[in-house]
Amino acid sequence: MTTINAYGPPGRLTDLDDIGKKAWHVFISDSVDQAITGPDPAEVLHDSPRPQFYNLTKTDTAADAVQAAVTWTAFPNRLKAAISDRQRWQRADASRDVQDEYCEWSVTRVGGGKITRVTFTCEGPEYWDVLAQTNPDKALDIYRAHIGPAVRRSDLFGPNGRYIRRNKWNDSTTQGAMHLIQQSNTLGAEIELAAAATIRRVIGGRELTGAQELIACAKYGVPDRNSDPHIGEVVNSIARQKADIALSDPVGIYFDDLATDGWSTPDGSAPKSFWTVERGDTGFPVRAVYEVPAGRGFAVGDITIGGRPIEFGAQIADFVTVKLTATACRLGTSTARPQTACVELAAGDDVTPGAFAPGAFSAHGYLGTHPDQASRSTRLVA
Amino acid sequence: MSLWDRTPERRRATAWPAAATAAVAAADEDGGLRPGTLYRGVSGVDRGPVPMPVGQFAGLRDPMAMVFFRQGRWPMTLEEVLDGLTGAGELPAQSVYLISEAGQIPPDEAPGLRRDFRFAISRAAPGRDPDLLVSSDPGSVFLQVAAWDPVSRVFNYYMRISPAWVWTGDSWSSMAPESRGKGCFDSHVNGSVVMKELKQPWSNWQSMSATVQLAPDDPLRDNPLYRQVIGAERLELTVKGLVSRWTTARLSAVVDDGMVAHPDHLLRQLFTSTTVNLASTSTQSATVMSGDRDLSQPLGFWLNADALLNDLGLPVGMETVPTAPASLYADSLAAFGFRLEEQVSDFSQPGDTFFAFVVPEPAYEDNDVVRQSVEKSLMPARFAACALMVDFTNPVFSPVRAHLMRYVPTAPVPASTWCDDIASAVVAAARILPADSPEAEFARNWAVPEADWPGVFAQRVDVYLEKVTARIRTASGFDDCVRLAESRRRTFKDMRLNEFALTLPATDIPADAPRLRMNEDGTVGVVTTGGSP
Repeated sequence: MTTINAYGPPGRLTDLDDIGKKAWHVFISDSVDQAITGPDPAEVLHDSPRPQFYNLTKTDTAADAVQAAVTWTAFPNRLKAAISDRQRWQRADASRDVQDEYCEWSVTRVGGGKITRVTFTCEGPEYWDVLAQTNPDKALDIYRAHIGPAVRRSDLFGPNGRYIRRNKWNDSTTQGAMHLIQQSNTLGAEIELAAAATIRRVIGGRELTGAQELIACAKYGVPDRNSDPHIGEVVNSIARQKADIALSDPVGIYFDDLATDGWSTPDGSAPKSFWTVERGDTGFPVRAVYEVPAGRGFAVGDITIGGRPIEFGAQIADFVTVKLTATACRLGTSTARPQTACVELAAGDDVTPGAFAPGAFSAHGYLGTHPDQASRSTRLVA
Repeated sequence: MSLWDRTPERRRATAWPAAATAAVAAADEDGGLRPGTLYRGVSGVDRGPVPMPVGQFAGLRDPMAMVFFRQGRWPMTLEEVLDGLTGAGELPAQSVYLISEAGQIPPDEAPGLRRDFRFAISRAAPGRDPDLLVSSDPGSVFLQVAAWDPVSRVFNYYMRISPAWVWTGDSWSSMAPESRGKGCFDSHVNGSVVMKELKQPWSNWQSMSATVQLAPDDPLRDNPLYRQVIGAERLELTVKGLVSRWTTARLSAVVDDGMVAHPDHLLRQLFTSTTVNLASTSTQSATVMSGDRDLSQPLGFWLNADALLNDLGLPVGMETVPTAPASLYADSLAAFGFRLEEQVSDFSQPGDTFFAFVVPEPAYEDNDVVRQSVEKSLMPARFAACALMVDFTNPVFSPVRAHLMRYVPTAPVPASTWCDDIASAVVAAARILPADSPEAEFARNWAVPEADWPGVFAQRVDVYLEKVTARIRTASGFDDCVRLAESRRRTFKDMRLNEFALTLPATDIPADAPRLRMNEDGTVGVVTTGGSP
């Protein structure tokens, strides 16, 4: 039986100073607590509390604890309604706003043509808020190291000194990608989703088990993403085993793998050898680059996937998986009762994405966050 | 009946006729296999398992042969295979996948239904594509291996028949007339590994789209391999890569001294459906309610989009797949009496499969032969496009396209002109045939100038998709679409690839209902000639 002293930085990154580490812990711990409490029952029905979700710093993790990884594909599922691969790749490469699977990327080309480098990130924006506020020099250094030496302090911070998430070096698919900016891609959303999914739902005498029926009932995310329904389904399946569940420390989204099946390089070298993790501890990668080192005589655009040259970063995203990890313990012992109704607003309106203000759910407020940048539940995004 | 069919050590095929199932029970007549022996038993070639000749044995270079058989090691269980590879330091990267056609039926709602869980396991060298795939079940009742031989550049197929192992053929055996479609090649139809639910949502597989449901006390929970199961989205990539590996090896071997050997073997994968993929919507059927969001049918139901749009690059203007009101789908379930049935377990449940609207669509392995043939300049893109645009609204089981196989020679042909020669033969025949003949349709396609065919064909596709999009938004149009889907499912059910009764739904549509086809104006009509190729 054990608790941890504090939530650590995502990826076990070492950028934060002591103040930053404390701020980060406070953010995660508060977010977890708020997610356990759930929304105000006076405003939202059948969605609180979440007694099977727990805070690793306050509640013991029992000896029977097991880790459960939840993985999904980085390419945005919502773009798969395109009529051809080329259409969906073009759309995914066109804007970070459609890269909504907790993974975003930026593409570097030679003279606007052949791809030489694709940068992938799954770093949550909240971490960068904390880092930039508590150690702005470090934030600038990291930008310069990973994006380019041309990055200036004024590019990252507004006149009031506040960090700009969508700054000129982190708001496109061509100028670089330092951390997640798509509005659904927040760690706050991940925490809220995981907590909400711990509620078992028995509707009409039948317990819901499917990913889509669960998310339709509990309304904890966007149904047509790869990530949200899957996270909810796996977490709920653990909850149905009457376990207590937490997001494992360090809380974050991580790269799971890059598959290279069917890839071919001009010189026969292993295509996976060009995938380099740039940030994050072993087992917790949060930033990776796909790039062929200079001197090899070819570039990323010369590598083929299923016979086709890589013309889009999205082609690689088809092969990237990302993950989160949950901790489950006290299996078979939870006495939490299932909800017997689906989530709805107390006013009687149906809960639909984008239909109400963020304040109705977990606020996720934390040190120094600008209101416009407060992390939001994915359920609020159309 | 072949060895493959007689052995009890194979999957329980609930969709196969009772006669075949009964034969399994009395299948031990070939008993007496000696332990520590590798047999060969190619269905259609060998009358029974015979010890593999020394010369052939020495030629096997795949991991199964190198790690086990040539070392005098004979693993009898799935775990022994995996542990043996690990112990030898071979192919350490392991990925475990899980499939069950009953996997989305809540165990407490059907306690008598057998789950038939199976594992698919890949093993690879670090950073490389897998070289070995194992198919087995948690109790190792059956144990089958596909292993890549890097020297012969084929997959070797093995199955354990206790207390021995049997080599059941290699990729080329799938092409040989005497063994084609027999034994393991009833599913490994063209010699490569197979995953027939190859696209999202990977029906029946555990994946990021659906988790296989287990009873709280299911012993599978304690199986170490179960705890390693990852999503089938990863297996899709693996299978596609391995199919392409075999296609590459095969194409490099079929052209010799400027001549294409067995041109019919290649072009049957252009003109016919040698096998199919099973596609579906990504929507859980039970969540589709009247008034809910539109339902997107699989694009492969409407046309061979993978080949025409992705591989050949027709520049279509349409930007989204056709969708139908969910209410029409929901209504159709009752109107046509959709249900899941497995007679072996006396199981029946109203409704569609877990993911709505499962239909056969063109197989990746057929399209890959075309794609690579074009890529290697073995087949002009124009020829492939002209062929695929014949009856393109029926992407699978088209007797119209299959009809054109009669113009494909079986003897070796010059690689530089073979497609032009076939086209010329078809065009010549069209001159004296009706305008609605397959030959005439091909001839019209072939008459489109080289520079224009992508745009012309794309426009036809756009017009067609606009029409079907309009049609399926009407009640009668959608009902036609349901009947057409059921017609294609029934053709699939006649194939040996259809192993499990729960793979597809049953309906009240009469068993003797005529097979249907899609017309280019978006209407559905009756197939008047031919049938499944």
